[in-house]
Amino acid sequence: MKRIGIISLFLILFLAFVAVWNISYREGQEEAYIPIENENPMPIIPSEIGVFERSKFALDYVNMPVDENHQRTLETFYNNRAFHGAPPSIPHPVASERGMGENICLKCHQNGGFVDKFNAYAPVTPHPEMVNCRQCHVAQVTESLFEETNFHKIKAPEVGVNNALDGSPPVIPHQIQMHENCLACHAGPAAPKEIRVTHPERVNCRQCHVPNNKETRDIGEFKRISNYDE
Amino acid sequence: MPIKSYLAHPHQGKKQELVHELSSISSCEVIPAENNDLVIVVTETNNNTEDDILKEKIEAIESLKLLAMVSGFDTPKSN
Amino acid sequence: MYTSLTNRREFIKKMAVMSAMTAAATMFPGILFAEEQERNLPENANLDWKKAPCRFCGVGCGVLIGIDNGKAVAVKGDPKSPVNKGLCCVKGYHSVISIYGKDRLTKPLIKKNGKYVETSMKEALDLIASKMKETISNHGKDAVSIYGSGQWTIPDGYVASKLFKGCIGTNNVEANARLCMASAVTGFMTSFGIDEPMGCYDDIDHADVFVLWGNNMAEMHPVLFSRLLDQRLKRGVKIIDFATRTTRTSMAADRSIIFQPQTDLAVANAICYEIINNGWVNKSFVEKHCNFKKGLTNMGYGLEDHYSFDDKPEGITFEAFKTFLQDYTPEKVAKISGVSAKDIKYMASYYGDPNKKVMSLWCMGMNQHTRGTWINNLVYNIHLLTGKISEPGNSPFSLTGQPSACGTVREVGTLTHKLPHGVVTNKEHREFAAKIWDVPAENIPAKPSYHTVEMFRALDRGDIKFMWIQVTNPMVTMPKLKRYRDACEKEGRFIVVSDIYPTPTTDIADVILPSAMWIEREGMYGNSERRTQYFEKMIEPSGEAMSDTWQIVEVAKRLGYEKQFYYNEDTHIEEIYNEYRRHHEGNKHAMAPLEVLKAEPGAQWPYVNGKSTKWRFNADYDPACSNGEQFHFYGNPDGKAIIWQRPYEPAPEIPDDDYPFWLCTGRVVEHWHTGSMTRRIPVLHKAMPHAYVELNPEQAKEMQIQTGDRIKLTTRRGEIILPASVNERGVPERNQVFVPFFDENMLINDVTLDAFCPISKQPDYKKCAVKVEKV
Repeated sequence: MKRIGIISLFLILFLAFVAVWNISYREGQEEAYIPIENENPMPIIPSEIGVFERSKFALDYVNMPVDENHQRTLETFYNNRAFHGAPPSIPHPVASERGMGENICLKCHQNGGFVDKFNAYAPVTPHPEMVNCRQCHVAQVTESLFEETNFHKIKAPEVGVNNALDGSPPVIPHQIQMHENCLACHAGPAAPKEIRVTHPERVNCRQCHVPNNKETRDIGEFKRISNYDE
Repeated sequence: MPIKSYLAHPHQGKKQELVHELSSISSCEVIPAENNDLVIVVTETNNNTEDDILKEKIEAIESLKLLAMVSGFDTPKSN
Repeated sequence: MYTSLTNRREFIKKMAVMSAMTAAATMFPGILFAEEQERNLPENANLDWKKAPCRFCGVGCGVLIGIDNGKAVAVKGDPKSPVNKGLCCVKGYHSVISIYGKDRLTKPLIKKNGKYVETSMKEALDLIASKMKETISNHGKDAVSIYGSGQWTIPDGYVASKLFKGCIGTNNVEANARLCMASAVTGFMTSFGIDEPMGCYDDIDHADVFVLWGNNMAEMHPVLFSRLLDQRLKRGVKIIDFATRTTRTSMAADRSIIFQPQTDLAVANAICYEIINNGWVNKSFVEKHCNFKKGLTNMGYGLEDHYSFDDKPEGITFEAFKTFLQDYTPEKVAKISGVSAKDIKYMASYYGDPNKKVMSLWCMGMNQHTRGTWINNLVYNIHLLTGKISEPGNSPFSLTGQPSACGTVREVGTLTHKLPHGVVTNKEHREFAAKIWDVPAENIPAKPSYHTVEMFRALDRGDIKFMWIQVTNPMVTMPKLKRYRDACEKEGRFIVVSDIYPTPTTDIADVILPSAMWIEREGMYGNSERRTQYFEKMIEPSGEAMSDTWQIVEVAKRLGYEKQFYYNEDTHIEEIYNEYRRHHEGNKHAMAPLEVLKAEPGAQWPYVNGKSTKWRFNADYDPACSNGEQFHFYGNPDGKAIIWQRPYEPAPEIPDDDYPFWLCTGRVVEHWHTGSMTRRIPVLHKAMPHAYVELNPEQAKEMQIQTGDRIKLTTRRGEIILPASVNERGVPERNQVFVPFFDENMLINDVTLDAFCPISKQPDYKKCAVKVEKV
């Protein structure tokens, strides 16, 4: 009796094994079909990614004393770019020509901080997840030009002229693609003094500040669909 | 001159009806979402009384499940 | 600041809409408001943003160009483009600056008594047409030629081919893509019978392992490399850098494997050996979908004039293929390649693992190779043996370096043997093209004439008297450059160059035509993943600059081909594109209608039933599959792909006692090709002002060389002096040096070798022997 029990137990185990093996084998044979997603146009509403990215430091920013001797100005901020919105170039010697972000650039530019060597605060990158930094940011090793250029550098947005009403929150006068993370540039000791926010603790910036630039084409005045005359 | 914006949620499957109803109200601007059951409504009225009446009118629409105000502005009288 | 009350009300209303949309987006991420989001907020209108494909490399990023008062002033990535999803590289972000260099060519110039004289466009075009007529009547039609480029838009290449092949009747049509893509083309043609990748960039989102075959992607295809890095962050994919030199890509990769130049052939065979030896072959796939073949060996290297080669393919059995691979055990290959048997087995194990999806990526390392066709075949062998092909994530993928190398040179067929559909050697193909072109079929010669290197040799010999060069800079890029520069300056040669800036190539021109650049005109490019993208004319051309398309049309009319060049100046791009589409009708190659290209961020051919095809040869995705099986390699008549027996053969010039180093050339992230555009972008020039020679740090120390020292490089072709670069951008192995080729003041191609792949005729810029001395 005991022997039959053992035999039948093994038989059941064996059958179960065969069944399981069969199923997994058949599943392995199935062609992996990955359905094609429709190429939905991506939303042009400026992305929300990163809005709250640095909000955990918001209270630190509030309590941080202003180091007036080492402030950046908006002018130097813009001078470092070919046009406003262009990736800034690297204004200092770099540690390695071959390094990737996580080992080199991000050491200082992920969270910022005072760098003795350059006597300045390291600006914080709004997109630390993109580590091939020098795909877009290049050093400037010479002052000379190959040929002169006639490129027209458009006027960068100014400070203090972006409110609709006196005292109303200013709109965002610049592109925010790739720099959706407001606090990266608008808070902390490396923020240009003109655009440093007075209230970094209110981290939901875009509750009051909305983007204000056209992304694709001008459609003229805002028109109502329905009208009293009809 | 109050200007207000709302998010309007329709009842299941009644989005088209809601959009239609809202569009027929003259002081309403309607922006339906393409891929969600959600409609943005912007209202523009001449004074607070009118605004209250309008709001009641909107809330009376049958296909409307929920109306949530997002922002409101008031500007001095004009025109 | 004064704002009227009504304006203020409008403003407030927009604010109200915007805040509602923002609130909606937090509740439903990805919510769409079609009309509203496009409209956005026009108040304080700053820039008009218009879409275009990037001007530079073959990745084909979608960019949005900010236009202010008729000037291009800003660039950002197009978030709607599935290629780059809103990201660009440093060249793309600053691309519009390259339109505004102070020395832009704005007027036609004619060389008179050794001096360039300004003239009118009409006079210049008249002169070109009369010179062509004269040359044809004195020396025959094969004495005129056109040399274009992978930067030609689709209409540029199309009218060039139509004029030269269809109307004049000469196959003297070539393009610089011969120097960068030809081996990829012959690789596809020999393995699959039809050109261009089966997969697409979406493979990046599905693959588990990426093997980069001699491809410094971090610098050359940075936007795609960022997609790889993004996948690693999200899904932990593996990146293997298989290269001859340590670069940024090696630093970012999970594993960097270094091999000796030319031995990639042996390593690829060793991987096949491992796959077979370990039983990793996908037997049912190979039986159903593959044939085995071998071709001729010891083909030579094309170093002598009039060299020609025709392969004689021969079917073989799987057993014979297996026996052939006995010479390529990992242990044997380790000895010649410098790659340890362990590393070979490591790579093979990823290809062999049925649960890992593998994407192989390559570009110039494999294509600029005297056995370029073979190494392309060998990588396909690996994917075919394991059945890892034509599926999301399983993809051998050949990258391109020019914005329309695929779209124009390969698809329009601006190579001596090609037609828009098919080849000149095929009678039916000639008749088909002639019908659409409205010319007699006899016009198109059945015999290909000169490939690029041979075309310049013919110019040197005097077989070609007239050459029209458009959108390219061969006087920087030809290998063994000095011979061909001297050729152009010979008596009795007439050279026309269409370009936007003075270059070493315009220096040798008899007539210089100012071209309208990129968004100064309308056109289309086709990128590496079969995506055709349209761009509108956004700004006015500088001075009298004219698009390359219209230059050719004007000359064609002057030559008496008004009937074939009936196009209207306002609508010619649309007319040309619609005519071109007729060549590609059918499920295998249909191109999307222009309206689709205008509305969408490009479309991938075959475009069938209103849909792009992402994966070809797979019945689940490709409507052209018709054999009732999962896969159908319909490029070949029997519907099967070919696994080629291709051996390892050494390079033509191997370092010896006199010339003990390998010389490799290439690019850097800041500059694109010959730098004629990127060097006029201050940010890029300041970042990379001149060329250099990279040395192995250990060896540099032994030779007492430091960064900045003057180094003389000598080859059998000549010598050049460059500043040394030690431990900077890249680190070559011992006895190897690397020089970027962008610098027209330090022409490294004066010393390179003009050996080429006998099948593809593409020169090898990556390998020749050089002597290195400190001076």
